[in-house]
Amino acid sequence: MSTRIGIGAVLPDLQKQQVALSASARKAVAGAGLDPLLLELVKNRVSQLNGCAFCLDMHVREARRLGETERRVYLLSAWREAPDFSEQERAALALAEAMTNLSQTQDVPDDVYDEATRVFTEEQFAVLAWAITIMNGFNRLNVTSRTPVPDPK
Amino acid sequence: MTERIRFGPALPEAYRHLAAAQRAMEKAAADAGLDPRLIELVKIRASQLNGCTYCVYVHSRDARELGESERRLYLLAAWREAPDYTEQERAALVLAEAMTKLSQTQEVPDGVYQEATKVLTEPQYVAVAWAVTVINAFNRLGVTSHTPLPAEAE
Repeated sequence: MSTRIGIGAVLPDLQKQQVALSASARKAVAGAGLDPLLLELVKNRVSQLNGCAFCLDMHVREARRLGETERRVYLLSAWREAPDFSEQERAALALAEAMTNLSQTQDVPDDVYDEATRVFTEEQFAVLAWAITIMNGFNRLNVTSRTPVPDPK
Repeated sequence: MTERIRFGPALPEAYRHLAAAQRAMEKAAADAGLDPRLIELVKIRASQLNGCTYCVYVHSRDARELGESERRLYLLAAWREAPDYTEQERAALVLAEAMTKLSQTQEVPDGVYQEATKVLTEPQYVAVAWAVTVINAFNRLGVTSHTPLPAEAE
């Protein structure tokens, strides 16, 4: 695979804002009482849909470090049929998919919104939606830049 | 359309950083010698693909204030067949579409990258790529929260 211009590195001012944006969402996750494992599932599912290998590698390793099981990581791409995910996780994954597939649907359907706001508090829902939005941003920057996946040690 | 939770007030700090990213992107685009109307075209096209009514409205209005023509705005949804767009604008629009449709393709094809970097300088290319990334974020927040049109649009 040929190398490409690194979009983030060329404009450090923008990169700084993107990282600060991500940090403010991460802070809000703890404040809202959301499980960091749920957030990693969401980030990994979004990265799967957008095809970001760099992001997937980073967040699978982070999920595993936080105690995620190998089995749930590999069932994630087929989560709807798997009994392994909680009601909250399923609502979060459905929201993540709807928000990520926007260019296919032009809509986040009412049933997805209703289920997410039923199982999450308003604050949790907002933090989750921000996290999905931010992950989509990192995916765009890294896929377009072909950011290389680090060599496995 | 039913009302939904708004994301700006829910996480004001995050919103501030996204707004700051937008300003930094616009400055980088101007520094790179890009016409602000090109950036508006990119924002509108991404917003069309993502179905963000609020973003389409606001950026069409902004583009008109910058002197954009009515014709180029209504032809934008079918820009490939229209003679109205410059080589630079076409390269930027191709990149905007590829980056916005990532969940359909899982890649930004080499042809798109090569076309964009052939026609745009490196600083211009990077500014456009950031513009697409930032507007995609606003689109996600806007669509998910059913952001209503500004009062003037009623």
